[in-house]
Amino acid sequence: MWLQLNINFSFSSLLKESMHKLPLSVVGLALMASFTTVNAEVEQHDLGPRIEIPESSGNSCVLPEDEMRRRHPDLLKHDRILTLREGIREKTDGHNLDGSLKQCINCHAIKDDNNNYVRIDNDRHFCVSCHKYAAVTIDCFQCHRDIPEGSSNFHALSGHKNTDFTSITPGSYGLTVQDMANIAPEVSSDDK
Amino acid sequence: MTSKIEKEDLSRRNFIFGSIAAAGLTVAPGVMLYQTANARDLSKAASSKVRWGMLIDTSRDVDWNKCVEACVKEHGLGNEEHSRPDQRTQYIRVVEVKNKSTGYSMSLPVMCQHCEQPPCVDVCPTGASMKREDGIVLVDRHRCIGCRYCMMACPYKARSFVHETLTDQSTTTPRGKGCVESCNMCVNRVDNGQLPACVEASEGAIVFGNLNDPESDISKLLAKHGGKQIRADLKLNPGVQYQGI
Repeated sequence: MWLQLNINFSFSSLLKESMHKLPLSVVGLALMASFTTVNAEVEQHDLGPRIEIPESSGNSCVLPEDEMRRRHPDLLKHDRILTLREGIREKTDGHNLDGSLKQCINCHAIKDDNNNYVRIDNDRHFCVSCHKYAAVTIDCFQCHRDIPEGSSNFHALSGHKNTDFTSITPGSYGLTVQDMANIAPEVSSDDK
Repeated sequence: MTSKIEKEDLSRRNFIFGSIAAAGLTVAPGVMLYQTANARDLSKAASSKVRWGMLIDTSRDVDWNKCVEACVKEHGLGNEEHSRPDQRTQYIRVVEVKNKSTGYSMSLPVMCQHCEQPPCVDVCPTGASMKREDGIVLVDRHRCIGCRYCMMACPYKARSFVHETLTDQSTTTPRGKGCVESCNMCVNRVDNGQLPACVEASEGAIVFGNLNDPESDISKLLAKHGGKQIRADLKLNPGVQYQGI
């Protein structure tokens, strides 16, 4: 960071001098050179938040990774029409359709430190890990189950049924965003 | 040109007769009947050759609440926390009817009647309310905007609206806030060759089967004893029919 500032400083002073003395092409060269230096010196992690893509438990996905990144919305959208409206639930070879959200979740479900599956309100959830980075708010999981069938029922929105919310004063130090989500899930459901 | 049309008609007729003959062969033993009625190639679209229906014998001494319980369990219903009881989703309701002059009372389960001419489909502005080829009336939640016209249109009051954020849905029945929903005749079970949950829990008082197949149990029962449709005057031709009402 210090290095970057330093270069920027020298670059701007150079620019001032060059306005009078140097032809424009030389200024351009100097500008390019200064940027190259910056890029070489700045570490990758300084460039912004990075996506931690969790490992999946399946052997292979329905398409290569780079294609899945680009095409998974199309697959899901195409096959949901086939399954719901036409009743096609399998490929001709008897396997699941490519766009089976249930199968996505079965392979890509992530467990937390307590060996429970993380729900959709957790940043470590497979779908959320990318969608949050890309500012994609898609509501698949308002209806669809976000963890494999038959697994833990813990959920941040419903798992604190026994909490006595009357003892919590809104605005007090102890009230977290999560507490608010528990008290009024309707209000906070869209901006997690 | 004429000969070509004749040829086509001939081949179509052959095809129809051929398929009937094949069905007849497999239907002959009783066990095969069950398999033929239920097994479907899931890589192919549902066919209009099948029309799924139910025949409910209300004269049988059955606790219909067991059917409701089975339904709730199958579809993961009842996970609303904030809704009033009358707002909560019901796929099946147990309706008590009483004749005031005689005092005779009875109860019957009423769910989506899976009409042949469903008014909910007629009024839906987005095409979310739909009838699948095999006669099962469904809500495509991907298209539902929650306008609730279908709830107004349904003469059987079969549809419910989800008023709140839901969690822990069943994998086989995705359902959530802002959408209308109703009995889907356990379409996931039917496709996999199982009976709907309420039929299983009904101790034989509800018969499920293919109304288009004259050899199916439900068609034979209907041919022998007849069945009544609720509000038959509306000419919606429901796939759910009743005996003893």
